[in-house]
Amino acid sequence: MHLRLIITTLAGLAAAAPALAEPTQYPLVLENCGTTVTIDSAPQNAVALGQNSAEILLMLGLQDRMAASAFWPTKVLPELEEANAGVEILTVEQPTLEGILAREPDFVAAQLPLLLGEDSKVAKRADFEDLDIPSYLSPGICNTRDDAGDIYGSRDQLWNMDPLYQEIDELSRIFDVADRGQALIADFRQREADLLARFEQGDSTFLFWFSSPSEGEDAYLGGKNGASGFIADLLGARNAITTEAEWPTVGWEGIISADPTYIVAASLDRDRWTLDRAEAKIAFLTTDPSVSQMAAVQEGRILTMNGAAMNPTIRTLYGAEELADQLQAMRAE
Amino acid sequence: MTARAMPGRGGFAALLAISAMALTLAVALAVSIGEMRIPLSTVALSLTNHLGWTDAPISRIQDSVIWDLRLSRALVAALCGAGLAICGAILQSLLRNTLAEPYVLGVSAGASTGAVAVIILGVGAGAVSLSAGAFAGALAAFAFVALLSDGGRGGPDRTILAGVAAAQLFNALTAYVVTTSGNAQQARDVMFWLLGSFGGVRWPEFQLLAAVIVIGLAVCIWYAHALDAFTFGDDAAASMGIPVARVRIVLFVTTALITATIVSMVGSIGFVGLVVPHAVRFLIGPGHMRLLPACAVVGAVFMVLADIVSRSVMTQQTLPIGIVTALVGVPCFSLILYRARRPA
Repeated sequence: MHLRLIITTLAGLAAAAPALAEPTQYPLVLENCGTTVTIDSAPQNAVALGQNSAEILLMLGLQDRMAASAFWPTKVLPELEEANAGVEILTVEQPTLEGILAREPDFVAAQLPLLLGEDSKVAKRADFEDLDIPSYLSPGICNTRDDAGDIYGSRDQLWNMDPLYQEIDELSRIFDVADRGQALIADFRQREADLLARFEQGDSTFLFWFSSPSEGEDAYLGGKNGASGFIADLLGARNAITTEAEWPTVGWEGIISADPTYIVAASLDRDRWTLDRAEAKIAFLTTDPSVSQMAAVQEGRILTMNGAAMNPTIRTLYGAEELADQLQAMRAE
Repeated sequence: MTARAMPGRGGFAALLAISAMALTLAVALAVSIGEMRIPLSTVALSLTNHLGWTDAPISRIQDSVIWDLRLSRALVAALCGAGLAICGAILQSLLRNTLAEPYVLGVSAGASTGAVAVIILGVGAGAVSLSAGAFAGALAAFAFVALLSDGGRGGPDRTILAGVAAAQLFNALTAYVVTTSGNAQQARDVMFWLLGSFGGVRWPEFQLLAAVIVIGLAVCIWYAHALDAFTFGDDAAASMGIPVARVRIVLFVTTALITATIVSMVGSIGFVGLVVPHAVRFLIGPGHMRLLPACAVVGAVFMVLADIVSRSVMTQQTLPIGIVTALVGVPCFSLILYRARRPA
């Protein structure tokens, strides 16, 4: 496809450009989610609220300038494990404002309005503003805030990594490591381009199965335009599920009739539901009398992927790569 | 007035004085306890600084934690406890039902629908806060109940049935929106919000709540004698010259407004509104002139203490307050029930 080729080439070119960035001039003034944020100097004692914000800071090599982090729905990316070990985790759930303030942060980065925002039970931006602590909210989540019905519900356009690149760029400038930010973005863009180049656009479809509370119960799936849809697109395919809800719940009859080419069984780090583990999903797929009759199951087209990738985060790209290798091996057979 | 002996006036004054002292102590405790280790002397200085009595230099972060977080939160908790207990007492009398509680008029279910409409459907396009949405939802549910129960004229049973119907309807609407358009994270947000927490409150919430509760309590005490008469039934009240329909509507609207304000600020917190009035009645009898102020103070103390527990049991994390009110409250109430048992 021409368009894909052009995009691939352009992305490759952009990625090849050397990462040269100016040192940050302070005070740095940024527009962030409707708020003007002024950073007087590079933060030395930052608190990251939300796994994605924390992982971006770790990828920028800023672990020595992080006081603490909180809200980790899943395990840290393996290559960041060592860096993260030195950073205190307040809680893997929602922290308290007092707990955050006790670390005397000079900067707070948050992933979700649930953790930082007017309606948050954790902290409002004014709480930090009053103490002259600059705060930053992930631009990907606030960009959609003004559209009715789209706070983080459904999407009418396919998600992509651009808001994350904006976030990486802004965070790297806030910490005066813009060159690292540019290098990271270039690396991610190159990896996106590599994936696009690896797979021809085809007619195959993917079913992204996040989890189910128990066997046979309706399955939580990745929706058409969310991170799952983006992964399918990178792999030259489509999401088998066509509803625009970000996390549709679909019964097995609906899944069987959607007849996906590939089934992605997500593996989750948690053990909340019976089918959180990929092995449990595969066992159900292959033993249930009706589900096991699906073409994808019969012909062994079941892939596994870390479920964290189905959230629109940097982990999405890692999930796509995880699938790409399995897909290639499967097609080579 | 009844065959049952009433405690004397002195006993009531003593109870109020003890409760007021207990409330002061509870708030003092709430301001002193928290995740951040702050010496008691600093806590005291922060308070006196803000009151204009001292001008001691203390760390801005510690000062903000003490004054803006802990104190505002403790006072909001006190007001919520007071408000829920008063509303429970009034609804139990008006509806002549021991199981009546502040959410019997459907406001809690309505608030959740309003909150979901804002969180998930994006009603108001970000301009309407979650609290405003919840408040609107709560009032919508109450309007529905008022309509079904003919403004309360249909009698207590009809009002309770209307409340049950409203709760079913609005809970179904909430569940419908969550399942059709929500994602797992949103469903969790909604759940967390519904369970109730004082995490989001600051001074503006306190000011609004203080105004609502003070006015509400005044209205309720104004009608205290009428409420006493209601205990004997509508006909008896009417024969005593009480404008039954009007009083009922005024009190329904007052309790609905108080509850809707509380629910929209901190979510729904169970148990307090149901049980505190019963406990207080066991202690001082059913006369509303005493019952209502006593409920307010006891409810306030109970809620402040429950909030201290909710933010102390787990480090770095807050237990939803509703869990604490029930876990702490049920044993207390069991003790009262046991001690108040009548000889067979």
